Amino acid sequence: MSLKRSINQIAAVAKTDFLGVLRNKTAIFFTLLFPLFFIVIIGFTFGQSGEADMSRISIGVVNLDGEMIALNATDSSNSTIGDIFVEALESANFTVTGYGEYGYRDTNGTAAYAISRGDIDAVLVIPANFTETITFLYTDDLGASVPTVSHLELIVDPTDSTGAMITQQSVFGFISAFIKEYHEIVIEQFPSYLQDYIEVVADPLIVTTSEAEVTEAELKWIDYMVPGTLGLVLIWSGLNHASMTIATERTKGTFQRMVIAPVYPTVVLLGKLLSALAIVYMSAFIMLLSGVLLFQVNLYWDIPVIILGIFLGALSAIGIGLIISSLAKNEEAANSISVIISVPLQFFIGAFFPLSIMPAAAEAFGNALPFTKLVTAMQDVMTRNLPFDAVIPEILYLAASGVILFLIGTIAYRITLRRL
Amino acid sequence: MRRLNDVVVDSVTKRFEDTVAVDNLSISVAQGELFGLLGPNGAGKSTLTKMISGMLNPTSGTIKVGKYSIQDDPMKVKELLGVVPQDIVLYDYLNARENLAFYGRLYGLSGKKLKNRINELLQFTQLDEKAVKRHVSTYSGGMKRRVNIAAALLHEPQVLLLDEPTAGLDPQNKHALWDIIEDLKKQRKTIVLTTHMMDEAEELCDRVAIMDHGKIIALGSPSQLVKKVKMENTITVVPDKISPSLIEQIKGITGVKNTYIAPDENEKIEAIKVITDCPDDILPDIVSTIVNTGTKVLSVQLSRVTLEDVFITLTGRSLRE
Ligand SMILES: Nc1ncnc2c1ncn2[C@@H]1O[C@H](COP(=O)(O)OP(=O)(O)OP(=O)(O)O)[C@@H](O)[C@H]1O
Ligand SMILES: [Mg+2]
Repeated sequence: MSLKRSINQIAAVAKTDFLGVLRNKTAIFFTLLFPLFFIVIIGFTFGQSGEADMSRISIGVVNLDGEMIALNATDSSNSTIGDIFVEALESANFTVTGYGEYGYRDTNGTAAYAISRGDIDAVLVIPANFTETITFLYTDDLGASVPTVSHLELIVDPTDSTGAMITQQSVFGFISAFIKEYHEIVIEQFPSYLQDYIEVVADPLIVTTSEAEVTEAELKWIDYMVPGTLGLVLIWSGLNHASMTIATERTKGTFQRMVIAPVYPTVVLLGKLLSALAIVYMSAFIMLLSGVLLFQVNLYWDIPVIILGIFLGALSAIGIGLIISSLAKNEEAANSISVIISVPLQFFIGAFFPLSIMPAAAEAFGNALPFTKLVTAMQDVMTRNLPFDAVIPEILYLAASGVILFLIGTIAYRITLRRL
Repeated sequence: MRRLNDVVVDSVTKRFEDTVAVDNLSISVAQGELFGLLGPNGAGKSTLTKMISGMLNPTSGTIKVGKYSIQDDPMKVKELLGVVPQDIVLYDYLNARENLAFYGRLYGLSGKKLKNRINELLQFTQLDEKAVKRHVSTYSGGMKRRVNIAAALLHEPQVLLLDEPTAGLDPQNKHALWDIIEDLKKQRKTIVLTTHMMDEAEELCDRVAIMDHGKIIALGSPSQLVKKVKMENTITVVPDKISPSLIEQIKGITGVKNTYIAPDENEKIEAIKVITDCPDDILPDIVSTIVNTGTKVLSVQLSRVTLEDVFITLTGRSLRE
């Protein structure tokens, strides 16, 4: 049989499959709009934490900056920057309450007491050396600045993990912005011959927080969320569609009618793959476009890496779909299995919230998923603007799992053929 | 010259977990023959058709289509076959033209050739041009059945497997599809037609295999099969008066086996019963004989032996049970 004929057959299968989604409202909803629906709801609920209503976030501040510390062999109790920091928090519209000490849960009046009763969402402890660190007051014998780390500690309410995450992201955003701004001002105040030097040492001078993850300035949660939706696209458009398409055709009999035509099973499979890829890319395009239009996210567009990542991830998703399709007795069963898998799975891929807030076992499970790798890689490339070599491990993982899962899917498909 | 066989089923058995759907069955269908598989629900007709089309593998036995074995040369067999499944197997969300284009492309057609072929078939199956543009989900049962058939004809197959092609249709649509099937027969296609309607088998088929429980229980042309049962075709005529000479005259008509007077169902009037082998040929003669004696004909009734009677005689059950 000629290649031309096979290509014509593949194109026919792919076109028919693709139209099956485009012309079916339920399929459109589940394969294309479901992830979009998530991003819109979640995006508008929590997504705008950069500028959104910070007054809803109530922070208890324990400002230790005024306490006595040893600085360059003398005592210092400078609290200037700590005070400015608190004022800035207030003017950024956080609801701020001051506490003398972190203290203990059962001691009325301490920060620990307030957070344990849910009066505040988080406690921020400003260390005693905050001003001294941030203004480069640590010097060596010759008077040159010595990079020092000051440990800002943020304690969040673990009983409200979603709230904790939002608070954390908002405070991180604020801190990075504050420090960046502040460094610039401070550097300007140095004598000009020292500015270059300070610039160099200023870099390693980071203010860490106890759970710090974000170091870049003013990144909002939604900036991570939008590339993360590509993982949802794999699940909802790739896995879900692939698990439905053959099972549906088998239930309707159109699959059997294809098989009794002079068509090689591989041709049908390739047509289905092509259509599934088209659906995944279309869905990815819609998601990214709506992310940009609805939330004005700032993303970096390394198109080849994005296309490659999605392709490899889609192979895994489609492979799993094919396995479901052949395990399922009929269309309905395939739909149930796929929904039962997809719905929980989407919370394990780091698209909605970081895996680090999950229990260790769940985190390990999530990290093993190819979809998580795509989310991580896309966040690295699109949000953090990291170069390709930073995501090579993820890409390799995606490639390996894509090949393996698609192969298993192909075997499952072959088994399907034997029981029509 | 010996006629070539296009479909040869040799000692084929298909066993599902606990049922034997087709039981050591053999048939040969000659080139250009319209061969009927008649049997009640669950007789194994579809299972047999599915094995011929290569959708199911027989548990044992061999099947050849043309000169190819479905087991050894499935692709060659598939090229020769056009298969109309019992259920309407079309994409709801495509229109007729798109459905036909899809199946045409599977069979290797493309471009202008495909387009022309689709137009021919839309005309052949009398699908109207406007309706063709709507999605199949909006079609009536009759229209769907037509597209279902057309989808099997795109590649001009020599052998057709039609599995209950008229199921669920009203008489008008059913007859329209019969015309289509007769046209296909005129094109010298070899056709295996599955049905559980005896009138369909009688009307269309050259030979009929009556199937029950996976086996063939009778095989022959419809008229041969009817002759096998010890039942007779009876014409019942009610004239306004009956004379012995009239009975004698009727007995003299060629084709009449016996004539006697019997009370009609309402018992007030008497009827003439005529026993014959060829009711259609002699009915006009009987009526004109009566009318020529100046007698009026009040009613005529013909009770014919059908394949249904054959089935009942052989199995003690009705086809529709
Ligand atoms: N895939 C299958 N698995 C198990 N049993 C089956 C399967 N397909 C058919 N059968 C059984 O085989 C027998 C024959 O079924 P088949 O569909 O061939 O009958 P049929 O003559 O076409 O009936 P109908 O007139 O209802 O279409 C039935 O008892 C049916 O239940
Ligand atoms: Mg059947």
